[in-house]
Amino acid sequence: MKTISVTINGEAYVETVPVRMLLVDFIREKCGLTGTHVSCTYEGVCGACTVQLNGEAIKSCMMLAAQADGHRVTTVEGLANGEELTPLQKAFKAHHGLQCGFCTPGILMNMTEFLQKNPRPTDDEIRRGLVGNLCRCTGYVHIVDAVRAAANSAT
Amino acid sequence: MAAIPQDSKDWMGARLERKEDLRLITGHGKYVADIVLPGMLHAAFVRSDHAHAKIKRIDTTEAAALPGVVAVFTGDEFKDHCKSMRQPVLLPNLPAKYPLYYALAIDKVKFHGDPVAVIIARDKYVAEDAAELVVVDYAELPVVLDPEAALEPGAVRVHDDEADNEMFSMTFTGGATIEEQDKNAAEVEKIFQSADVVVKERFRVHRTGTTPMETRGVLAEWSPSDGLTVYNTTQRPHIDRLAFADILDIPAEKVRVIAPRDMGGGFGLKAPFYRESIVIAYAARKLKRPVRWIESRYEGLMNIGQERGQVNDLEVAATKDGKLLALRNRGVADCGTGQIGVYWGFVMPFLGAVEMPNAYTWNAGDVRLKVAFTNKACLTPSRAFGHFPTRFAIERAVDMVARKCSLEPADLRRKNLVPKLPYTSVTGEYYDSGDFLKVWDSLMVKADLPAFRREQATARAAGRYLGIGFGCGVELSGVASELMVPMENQPGYGAATVRLDPRGKAFIFGGDAPGGQGHETTISQIVAATFGISPEDTVITTGDTGTTPFGSGTIGARMGSYFASAVRKACDELKEKITHVLAHDLGVRATVEEFAFTNGEVIYARDPAKRKGFREIVERIIMFPVNLPEGEVGGLESTAFFEAAKPMICFNADCCVVEVDITNGNFKIQRWVTSEDVGNVINPMIVDGQMHGAIVQGLSNAIFEEFIYNEQGQQLTADFEHYKLATAADVPTIEITYASTPCPHTPLGTRGIGEGRPSAVSGALCNALCDALSLFNIEITELPIRPNVLWKKLQAAGAVTK
Repeated sequence: MKTISVTINGEAYVETVPVRMLLVDFIREKCGLTGTHVSCTYEGVCGACTVQLNGEAIKSCMMLAAQADGHRVTTVEGLANGEELTPLQKAFKAHHGLQCGFCTPGILMNMTEFLQKNPRPTDDEIRRGLVGNLCRCTGYVHIVDAVRAAANSAT
Repeated sequence: MAAIPQDSKDWMGARLERKEDLRLITGHGKYVADIVLPGMLHAAFVRSDHAHAKIKRIDTTEAAALPGVVAVFTGDEFKDHCKSMRQPVLLPNLPAKYPLYYALAIDKVKFHGDPVAVIIARDKYVAEDAAELVVVDYAELPVVLDPEAALEPGAVRVHDDEADNEMFSMTFTGGATIEEQDKNAAEVEKIFQSADVVVKERFRVHRTGTTPMETRGVLAEWSPSDGLTVYNTTQRPHIDRLAFADILDIPAEKVRVIAPRDMGGGFGLKAPFYRESIVIAYAARKLKRPVRWIESRYEGLMNIGQERGQVNDLEVAATKDGKLLALRNRGVADCGTGQIGVYWGFVMPFLGAVEMPNAYTWNAGDVRLKVAFTNKACLTPSRAFGHFPTRFAIERAVDMVARKCSLEPADLRRKNLVPKLPYTSVTGEYYDSGDFLKVWDSLMVKADLPAFRREQATARAAGRYLGIGFGCGVELSGVASELMVPMENQPGYGAATVRLDPRGKAFIFGGDAPGGQGHETTISQIVAATFGISPEDTVITTGDTGTTPFGSGTIGARMGSYFASAVRKACDELKEKITHVLAHDLGVRATVEEFAFTNGEVIYARDPAKRKGFREIVERIIMFPVNLPEGEVGGLESTAFFEAAKPMICFNADCCVVEVDITNGNFKIQRWVTSEDVGNVINPMIVDGQMHGAIVQGLSNAIFEEFIYNEQGQQLTADFEHYKLATAADVPTIEITYASTPCPHTPLGTRGIGEGRPSAVSGALCNALCDALSLFNIEITELPIRPNVLWKKLQAAGAVTK
């Protein structure tokens, strides 16, 4: 067991957890932030568990909670500013960028960082940026539309 | 959300943002894995390492002794205390061998992944640890994996108490008796004898399926007074409820099944009734504590989501000018163990055979199917239910006929499309309405074949290989009772309850259980348009057997066909009552047609000064039920059932453009264009999304995904590293056009769409690849289709001479 302190969405969580606890389980089960999802067998392929660690998109099934000790995590619950959605969240709504919504939080966390680094992406760049996030419902068409629209709205 | 349109009727067809989205994009969805009950325990399964083996001994001592473990159950527990999974409620009405099986394996394991034991522990990590400590002593048995070998005399038997591995066999043409079928077969043979052109090929489709992003999950709770409550990832909670009651022997009124409001995709995979559900419910009842199991992806890929695996020996006869005359098919499907409730692995190939003739006119057909038990996971339903392999075969064969006739495949298709509906296919499938030629012609305008042929010729002169391919698909729009009762022993009608509340809001309840299709939004638009209110004034509840009317489930494109129609019918019944009371209050004699429900008001059309707010009249009927017309009582709630007189369909046509690099077989899809008859559209954005997703699933199945077993029957593809789903970078964007004909058999002219939609994809793709490589006479007859396969064919054809 190890006592760790992780700041999630600006709130400090000090918890004693087994060393083997995955960060995704810490987020979901210790902190009750269930917007972060698990779809693959903790192999880092599906991207549903993507969060930001110190502002960088990472897969939270691929690291231990103990490794996040002293770090800053942002989850999908931390994107909107109160009622005010981010341009990317708004674009996902406006362009029907989600169906079942299971992959969506991971995609939002990944593409939020992506757009910060690539504010004017081409469609090919968006599609390549999405390869770490599997979606089974949308065929990706509306996701690409949404990311492009968010980029355009940020002028 | 948008403001009320000028005319509330405009809600129909509006690109409304979804009601579901706000919670899902802010992380506040509630999927089964997000539901936690006090004292909840966690389950982990021990699964077979072997495809076929006797269970000699199971030692659970060490596992049970691990701190935190509450219970360990093995197969005997379920044999002694539950009924088998072979209960009437889960049995189709078709003659087949239905193997006897229990929630956990008894005596022997029959596929790699067969559940042998379950650990119930206070912590999910501990449950996994304990699962590793269970020691199972197996005596390995020989395996049978190839479905044709499984049907040979003397083959290893998957089920000891069945005489052989032939699970199901059927002739779909000619009539009900063997004499009629033989007579028909002789007539078909005569056509083949005298036909100008005959194509005969073996078409093989691999095991692949749908694989939603959310795995299965079950959370069961037992209360001595209320009985069993199960939160289950299911598309069919009302069917599940009956199955829980019958297998666990609990009075049906003591079972409530709740499909969580948010489900991470289903695509058919969450339609069957599974063994794990019984294990978890049984454990909760026995231990008197809530128990939850969240399936790992590894378990999921090993156990479920596998469909399509089938061989079709197909022959097509045609005239030299390209008129299709007859088809003859001998299908053999690889069912696996057949141990899945409701579908038993063979119901999908059964329907796939029925749907084989597709949109073409045939003078005659001889279509037969055999389904074999093998030591593999049982086939589970997957979007394009059953007809992915038969559609691949027929769409490829049609192109081969065109090649033999030296005709443009697109022209041959048009020439053979059913010209006028209704129509009954040679396998007896009823096509109710639509205009196939209109859909086709709309596709051809968008695809611009002459321009492509010019571009292709120019490219070829420059050493580049472009190709164009077409395909089409008749798909079910809901599944009528006429088909559902024989096929699954279940009804097809849609059911909905609409309840108005004194504040003028509408609450809608449906027994189906969506997994991302946008039911809340679509239904809200129908209700808003009908009552002249805003979609924001509606609340939709689905999937809870405790509060919703019986629904057969979210399967077979039932939304736009059956559920939507039931909702509309229930709304119309309420409108009758509202206008009856309002006419009385206004002192006019008027029928419901003489009132307009618009922009929050109910207006007497003959004298628009006579009107009342929707909320006011609703409140008056519910809260102040005095001075009512004679015979009328207060309250506004209606449950309606909808069933069309005959089965219904929707229709689509696809065009694919590819470029192949003949030096290495790599190919790129340059364009994907479709034309769709979806009937009247409620929300075009949602319909577009359904098509995009279905087409990409079809491409992913055809190119990337493949469940692979080794010679011992070991599953080699049980994670996403090995079972590859298409990523965004792997697939093209999609251009959709609509050429709809309103369905005359639904109150809104809508059709159910999206379920069968992946089926036409593999044919169009492979037709395009073969068109690109026509110079080398390359024909694709097997899936998956990948660059290495093309490269081999190019090598064999001597395409690259270096």
